[in-house]
Amino acid sequence: MKFGLFYELQLPKPANAEQWDPDAERRIFHEMLEQVALADSLGFDFVFEVEHHFLEEYSHSSAPELMMAALSQRTKNIRLGHGIVLTPPGYNHPARVAERISALDILSNGRVEFGSGESASEMELGGFGVERRMKKAMWEEATREITNMMTSTPYPGFEGEFFSMPARNVIPKPLQKPHPPLWVAASRRETTMVAARLGMGSLGFGFETPEELGERALEYYRLVREELMPIGHAINPGLAVLNTFMMADTDEEAMRRSANGPAFFSYSLGYYYNPATGGNHKPGEANVYADFLARAEETAGAQAQRGGFLSAAEIAAGEPTDEVQKALYRAARSGNAIGTTETLRRTLAKYEEQHLDVMIFVAQCGDRKHEHIMESIETFGKELLPEFKERHLTQQRPWRAEQLKGVDFPINSSI
Amino acid sequence: MARPSDIRNDELRGKVEQAFAAMRAGKGAEAVHACADAYLRHVALHPEVMKQTIPMRGREISRLMRWPALGANMKPETVAAGAPEIEFLRERFAVSEAMTYYQFVLDEILEQQAG
Repeated sequence: MKFGLFYELQLPKPANAEQWDPDAERRIFHEMLEQVALADSLGFDFVFEVEHHFLEEYSHSSAPELMMAALSQRTKNIRLGHGIVLTPPGYNHPARVAERISALDILSNGRVEFGSGESASEMELGGFGVERRMKKAMWEEATREITNMMTSTPYPGFEGEFFSMPARNVIPKPLQKPHPPLWVAASRRETTMVAARLGMGSLGFGFETPEELGERALEYYRLVREELMPIGHAINPGLAVLNTFMMADTDEEAMRRSANGPAFFSYSLGYYYNPATGGNHKPGEANVYADFLARAEETAGAQAQRGGFLSAAEIAAGEPTDEVQKALYRAARSGNAIGTTETLRRTLAKYEEQHLDVMIFVAQCGDRKHEHIMESIETFGKELLPEFKERHLTQQRPWRAEQLKGVDFPINSSI
Repeated sequence: MARPSDIRNDELRGKVEQAFAAMRAGKGAEAVHACADAYLRHVALHPEVMKQTIPMRGREISRLMRWPALGANMKPETVAAGAPEIEFLRERFAVSEAMTYYQFVLDEILEQQAG
């Protein structure tokens, strides 16, 4: 199993103020740079960053390509993942996505992971005029064509349902051939299987128990072998799962350092993706964190009994319906990678046994402290990462190679 | 492992195989129509499915509302009335949308069959 970090760039407003401190955004951007540089030096495999727009407090990561460019110059080995780029043309023209991915691949010496998706919040869809019921079809058309732009010289042009353009040579071309590994956001079982058929890595595909994960992994790889209809020019078979992450010397201390982060993460996520609240968000005026604190008091009793986390039934009852958001919500509420070295060794081994390819940690969320995140990255990198890395090479890679026997389509994957 | 050939009911298996063939041929709209047809027939053959609920945003809703809303949408009022209908909001569907509907129908039928 490989490991990565995941970033939304969350920035709760102070509960007692109308706006953030003027330095707050600069601070979290630079903290992320430090955290990822440390992770890279310790051997973490991936960093994935979202693209979101207008989701104040929940995500200030609207230009991840710039953060990735900065990281490309501060890191040496870590894979730079878009998790994900919004590819419906209303958000980003497909040629601009192809250009940016390729340029980043060159800057980073071939370290880009190209995740794509659609988002579902009214703030974003409405902000860019993207029609909700067409967004998946838009995603597919644009993503397919982006891979064509990265591989065709010249790109012959396209007359599609959602965008058209004349013949042009879309440059630069990516360093990785034919193009960087493809990922798609998925949480429901059927979407994971769509990813398999399209030859894409399944990113953040939910927070199943390890036993459910095992069944899905086998079925995912069977579909790659038997029902492949690739969207791109190379496939990237792989399953990744998100999980909240915080380490300390005791489980209690890890919980204390963590608790408000995941809870705010899921609260703000639910806020923006529920049309009743997110659809009525007052830009520049609302204070989501203050609302969260007020609600937290109401539910503190039940959650306190579980160290700030919810039961499976409580998670299901409150979760959003959108694919990606549901996955993130479950991650934030489950707390599976929070605790001591021994706790994480035990928990993560269960996912490893079920052949998970990549575990992605959500460390930066809510009002967690930078120094606690740095400590956790360091502890994990020094005390756990080496043993998992070794087993990835000796156990998971051979298992995966066995699963992919007979697949005669080109593979470009960093797993 | 979930395959159409695992479906015991001949009629349902035929419909799902039709959806699978259309999907593999890249005929998104044809595949989605076949999936809708298969799912509504599945519900008609197993009306107990209509009584099953799932939690969503703090309340219980009909299991039928899990049907993906990607342009061929379950009409809530018909579910409430006990005669579910799927409304096609458009007639063109991408392959990924067809794959989503196909996988959903296959999983639902096999899960019900397994009890």
